[in-house]
Amino acid sequence: MSNQPAISDRGFDVDDPSLRRFDLVREGARRDGVEIVHYAPRFPVPGTKAEKRVVRSISLLLALSGLAAIGYVVAFVALPFEYEPGRNLAKWYTPILGLSLGGALFLLGIGMIAWAKKLLPEEIAVQERHNGGSPRDEQELTGATTLNLLDETGIRRRPMLKAALLLPALGVGAAAVVSLGGLVRDPHRSEVFFYTGWSPKNNGGKPVRLIRDDGTPVRPQDVSVGGQMTVFPDIPHGTTNEWADSPTLLIHLRQEDADELRGRLKQVPRNAAFNNGTGGLWGNFVAYSKICTHAGCPASLYEQQTNRLLCPCHQSQFLITDNAQPIFGPASRPLPMLPLGVQDGYLIATDDFGIAIGPAFWERP
Amino acid sequence: MIPWRRPAGPRGRLRRRFGAAVRLVAALTLVGGLYAAFAPGSPAGAEDAPLSAEAQEGKRLFETSCITCHGRNAQGVPDRGPSLIGVGSAAVEFQVGTGRMPLARQEAQGERKPPLLSIEEARKIGAYIQELGGGPQLPEGEDLHSDGDVARGGELFRINCSSCHAFSAGGGALSSGKSAPGMEEATDRDIYAAMLTGPQNMPVFGDNQLTPQEKKDIIAYVQNLKSDQDPGGWGMGRLGPVPEGLAIFLVGVVALIFTTLWIAGKS
Repeated sequence: MSNQPAISDRGFDVDDPSLRRFDLVREGARRDGVEIVHYAPRFPVPGTKAEKRVVRSISLLLALSGLAAIGYVVAFVALPFEYEPGRNLAKWYTPILGLSLGGALFLLGIGMIAWAKKLLPEEIAVQERHNGGSPRDEQELTGATTLNLLDETGIRRRPMLKAALLLPALGVGAAAVVSLGGLVRDPHRSEVFFYTGWSPKNNGGKPVRLIRDDGTPVRPQDVSVGGQMTVFPDIPHGTTNEWADSPTLLIHLRQEDADELRGRLKQVPRNAAFNNGTGGLWGNFVAYSKICTHAGCPASLYEQQTNRLLCPCHQSQFLITDNAQPIFGPASRPLPMLPLGVQDGYLIATDDFGIAIGPAFWERP
Repeated sequence: MIPWRRPAGPRGRLRRRFGAAVRLVAALTLVGGLYAAFAPGSPAGAEDAPLSAEAQEGKRLFETSCITCHGRNAQGVPDRGPSLIGVGSAAVEFQVGTGRMPLARQEAQGERKPPLLSIEEARKIGAYIQELGGGPQLPEGEDLHSDGDVARGGELFRINCSSCHAFSAGGGALSSGKSAPGMEEATDRDIYAAMLTGPQNMPVFGDNQLTPQEKKDIIAYVQNLKSDQDPGGWGMGRLGPVPEGLAIFLVGVVALIFTTLWIAGKS
């Protein structure tokens, strides 16, 4: 079989001594279907002032690139990088690394592009392209090549490989399903949604005390009128993410606001039925779940004059003096109320919320 | 002269005039006595106890700058200003010292502005309000952060303050035009007074909830945050990676567009 391409049949002889190197370059491009129609040096007369200026500026760019790279190495090794409060050089460690390494690469790139644009010869080359789809024989040839590739793997006559391939396919698929599926809670075991850390069954049937983030219990006099406090259930790991559904906002209302709320408790029968029908408040204290009923953000922006609780995520607003009913924004259900009481001088939750806290889910009644 | 009256002699006229004067005095005494018996008594200590010299100066300032909205005895004026009985000198120093009071106009909330009264004048008014109705007071001294624990203050700030004032103490929006202010300009005493008194819609954090030491911890954290330098020099409001990423994306894409134009352009 001859390696001689058909295109060389035009009588081009590579051994012809009269040919210059560029003639070979032009012929090589022509055989690849590219015709060089214009080719001229940027600076026909070598050593002009203009050429020297271009050469100098490219050299400068490359030298600066090298300096910046060295600066990166020096900064990486020598500069302090550990956090210190206040104004100091460590605050500039990352920016200096970024500027020096980025500057080195940027200057190198600019130098190379400037080289290509200012020093390489001007060239116009034309390549023929056919119009429309490929010719039929071209399509046949490509199809045959592709099928041949498949035959070469031999998967058709080696069924064991076919079965072996199935294993990683199944395994990787199962890995994806398991890692994503672990995020989904079984909706048919929905009882986990309906109790929180405040349920007395977490405390041996006794009511759960309210504690702060540092674990100390809360006395009523700890919260001033017009004050609020984030409280957690006094059970093991009660302040951790294990009981992420339990953070609650304890609010000490003014007398007139508490009276207004007591007058409206009946509008949410669950709140009025707490504590044997006396309502979920203890004195002028009221507690609402901190988890927004829209998307589960902490709705804890408490406005003590206007008695609103705001959720920062989507601007839902809840009116504290009206059972935390939503009055603005996308939330559609009130924040659940936690029934309060006092035991041995400390605030307790006399019962759980009695309803699923937070946003909606499939099996929500 | 009224025609149907019998003209009286000089003696009768004198007696009648004297009798009228006696009746007038008697009636006034009766009315005054009844009023004194039934009118509500003045609050004990408000007017009886003499004011200190500082409070008297404060009273004079109060009567020129505050009385329109808060009333003659700081009892408040409906639809204008609340009663100041029991707010304490801490609230006065915060509201007047940060320029929030006197209000420029009735609006969603008073904003910090260049103070109309000096801090000394604010403290004098504070002394007057304190002696009038009592209430929370600030500790002595300007430096309330040096003996605070920054790390514990950070924990307390994140659980109590950050929901409204943001993690970086830059502030945030509340409902209906209100907002939680940023703390860029707040002094130690401003922050302490705000926690102690709960100005405007801020909740009150009394000394039982956050002890004076915990308040100092929080102040130490906030002042440390403010004095800390942003890595790279520009925090962009310290809003986090989203606006920073957006900025570098916009700047970077524009830079890339011009670079590609330069590369592909005819030389």
